[in-house]
Amino acid sequence: MSIQDILLQQLANGLILGSFYALVALGYTMVYGIIKLLNFAHGDLYMLGAFVGFIALSFLSDYIGDGWAGIVCSMVLSMIAVGLLGVLIQRIAYVPMLSAPRLSILITALAVSMVLYNGVMAFTDGQYLAFTTDLNYEGVQLGNVFVTNTQMVLVGSSLLLMIVLYLFVHKTLYGKAMRAIAIDQDACRLMGINVNKIIALTFFIGSSLAAAAGVMAGTYYGSIHFFMGFIIGLKAFTAAVIGGIGSIPGAMLGGLLLGLLEAFGTQIPFIGTEWKDVFSFGILILLLVFKPTGILGKTEIERM
Amino acid sequence: MKKTLILSSLGALAGLLMLGNVASSADLKIGIMVPTTGSEATYGKDMENAINLAAGEINKAGGVLGMKIVTMTGDAACDPQQATAAASKLVSANVNGVVGGYCSGATLPTMKIYGDANIPLVIPAANSTKLIGINPGNAFQINSTGFDQVKTAVSLFKAKGINKLAIVHQGDGYSEDLAKLTREKWTAMGKEVVAYEVVNKGEQDQSALVTRIKSKAPDAVFWTAYYADGAMVIKQLRQAGYRNLIAVGDGSNSPKLLKIAGKAAEGVYCFSNPTVEYLPAAKAFHANYKAAYKQDPDAYAALSYDGMKLLADAITRAGSTDKAAIIKALAATKDFTGIAGPISFTDKNTLARSNFVILVAKDGKWILNK
Amino acid sequence: MANFSDTLGEWLRPQKNRMFILLVLAAIAMLIPLASSNYVLEVMTNVWFYVMLCLGLNIVVGYAGLLDLGYAAFFAVGAYTTGILTSHFGVNFWLTIPVAVCCSACAGLLIGGPTLRLRSDYLAIVTLGFGEIVRIVARNLEITGGASGLIGIERPSIFGFQLNQIVHFYYVFLLLAILACFVSYRLQHSRMGRAWQYVREDEDAAEAMGINRVAVKLYAYVIGAIFGGVAGCFFAVKMTAISPETFMFQQSVLILLGVVLGGMGKIPGVIIGAFALVLFPEVFRGLGSMRMLVFAIVMLIIMLYRPEGIWPAKKS
Repeated sequence: MSIQDILLQQLANGLILGSFYALVALGYTMVYGIIKLLNFAHGDLYMLGAFVGFIALSFLSDYIGDGWAGIVCSMVLSMIAVGLLGVLIQRIAYVPMLSAPRLSILITALAVSMVLYNGVMAFTDGQYLAFTTDLNYEGVQLGNVFVTNTQMVLVGSSLLLMIVLYLFVHKTLYGKAMRAIAIDQDACRLMGINVNKIIALTFFIGSSLAAAAGVMAGTYYGSIHFFMGFIIGLKAFTAAVIGGIGSIPGAMLGGLLLGLLEAFGTQIPFIGTEWKDVFSFGILILLLVFKPTGILGKTEIERM
Repeated sequence: MKKTLILSSLGALAGLLMLGNVASSADLKIGIMVPTTGSEATYGKDMENAINLAAGEINKAGGVLGMKIVTMTGDAACDPQQATAAASKLVSANVNGVVGGYCSGATLPTMKIYGDANIPLVIPAANSTKLIGINPGNAFQINSTGFDQVKTAVSLFKAKGINKLAIVHQGDGYSEDLAKLTREKWTAMGKEVVAYEVVNKGEQDQSALVTRIKSKAPDAVFWTAYYADGAMVIKQLRQAGYRNLIAVGDGSNSPKLLKIAGKAAEGVYCFSNPTVEYLPAAKAFHANYKAAYKQDPDAYAALSYDGMKLLADAITRAGSTDKAAIIKALAATKDFTGIAGPISFTDKNTLARSNFVILVAKDGKWILNK
Repeated sequence: MANFSDTLGEWLRPQKNRMFILLVLAAIAMLIPLASSNYVLEVMTNVWFYVMLCLGLNIVVGYAGLLDLGYAAFFAVGAYTTGILTSHFGVNFWLTIPVAVCCSACAGLLIGGPTLRLRSDYLAIVTLGFGEIVRIVARNLEITGGASGLIGIERPSIFGFQLNQIVHFYYVFLLLAILACFVSYRLQHSRMGRAWQYVREDEDAAEAMGINRVAVKLYAYVIGAIFGGVAGCFFAVKMTAISPETFMFQQSVLILLGVVLGGMGKIPGVIIGAFALVLFPEVFRGLGSMRMLVFAIVMLIIMLYRPEGIWPAKKS
């Protein structure tokens, strides 16, 4: 492989990984944007999405097979189920805490994450499950770079989801309400917006996007386990911060950028795979210190 | 109210003090130290089952020196802190010997505790070479060590005409140890290690790693860690069009690797200690195990079974439950016939022969490589 | 429950009673080794060890109100400092303690200095990232023994007497825990302790009162780091082997759990939390993998219904 080929291949790798990061980062950014809550449980919703998709597919495969039809159906089911779970979590754990000190709500979010994570661990006995599907490795050779059909569908569908989300937030009345709440909740209440409903809707959308990413990851990588959400949750948060937390295009941009950074990072001498995570966490810390608003985020006056 | 509080706290304390004092003194107490909780619990319980099965058989045949074997389990949880607590629990209970040790990292700090109490310890699974250096003399490894595995690996690579090798581990003590030893041996032979990489446990996307490995064009990739992440690496290597040899270490000997990696795993080589299905002498054990626990024995069941039988044999040969005498008898073991093969020890208390076999994945199953 | 805790709180309030209780508890703690097996000692030593760690984190989380999700990093810095100096350079254990204090304080400054100006949720993530960085560095470097870690760390001796038995370490860790309680108590009732409280309750008001909030937070951070570092030193010699696996994110969460369970910011609460943390898994071994789930649910319930922890709240 020549150096151009390697870089081109890493570009493809980075885009695929980045689209996962972007999907998960969107949920972080939406929830953060609207109620300023860092939802630690978000990565675990991604993991749960994969498990729900797995269960759904094992039921559906008897009727419609485990090809594309089965995967799409189980993905939709998983998005609905995990979306509702997200709303439930918000109702049970976050609504009572909204007026509590920042520290308490953060710890509550962490506790929710622990419940989900340890719950799945207890029920799966800590085992990895094989997510078997009917997908194959066929694909196209673009020069010296090989891209499978699955990978193209994957990137395509995450782009599609992101575009739909963008249109929803910017072209519909609900989206307008979401953006308004992010600016001033009390004023919205006075204007007759049902704030609680809109917040619940935000949780639903954010959680179902994470679930979609989880099902895609499960089918693509072929195995799921209880801690698959931990690392990606952390990375997706990094992505959201890179793009500017609270900004939807920012989360997409940040996700893709982080995916590319990681892919190319492994090619840099002395970083390699050993120091890859030090590299991405280092970027996160430096960014938070020097430009906490990220690339597309707006400067915030509020201080905490 | 005051009194209730004090009484209940005293009660709790008394309960705590009484923990771990159960068996009567006429029995032979054998400790089992395996992870029964945590991520490695399935392997630990499998070992515990096999040891209890052996103890039951011995008891049925009249026990050891006329005494019945009573086992008690300490949960090492594959965690150094919990393992030291488990070891202290067994030592406090005055066990006559211990069979156990699955995770090398958790077994390391317990060596000192058993050593100080001079309790004979038979280790059926943990095989990091680090265990050898700190062995105070009371511990015996009946699984071949990493050195033997490297020898087997290198012999396969040589036979296949490999020149450029890529090694990938998972950043834990066991797989790093194996990766390092392989690298040393391979470069000492004047061959080339073109990539030496690490994978984070649980991370799904390995495409960047795969591209990096592919760009170095190795003749073989050696995965030294466990099956779960190994399956992912194999799958993505094959998906990216890597067609050369792939080999995995004994931590990856699991049918689950084949299930997760699917077709991608065809033709992958695996170095393994002998598991039940490849041992002609273990047919009866297999049947008894299945009858008793309603499942197939897993990777370390045969060795754990042998460990218990060996310890009982050593106590019989020592003629007493004196710890020093048992250790002496263990060290003097000569060709003890276990179901996993004969056991003798080197002067460092490791298994004298290499018990590694080479398996190859064919049609979704591991079969012996001829 | 409320009635019970009220009664308990009532009974504990008067100064005289409290001194008496403390003395009785100290006497029980001193006498435990006379009537217990090595196993109980091992577990109790672990309890004192977590008391120290939790009290250290409590300074950061409970007193100053900063969420730190990478506390295991400081504990790792202390453990590795001692491990490296004693096994690679043959330095006497007791001399490594001041070095470890410096190293962990520097680590606290390094990570706290630039980040304490940030929003508290950003800080949580930065500390989490920092904890992971420390663990990965320890895993990758040659001097830290790589993934296998350091083994065969020498046990220390004092005045020619070698600390070798678990009972020796029991008293060492008991002493450390008592020291940690004492220091925590003094800090809480010092000028700095009150400054922490102001900053925690209302940062802007505190600043208006002339408190330098960044400096005050940094103090909490560095002192917490030192607690962790010292605990790490003794951990290294007690275990004789340390590896990066001990310092994973889960360890940080466990320590945080201890702080939250009993009641953030209250010394007796934190001690109860540490007890629960260590004793629960030993007593309820049968729960197996459900253990952490139970912990997590309890933590969630506490946060939702009793954010001040199990320890009865002071009435004011």
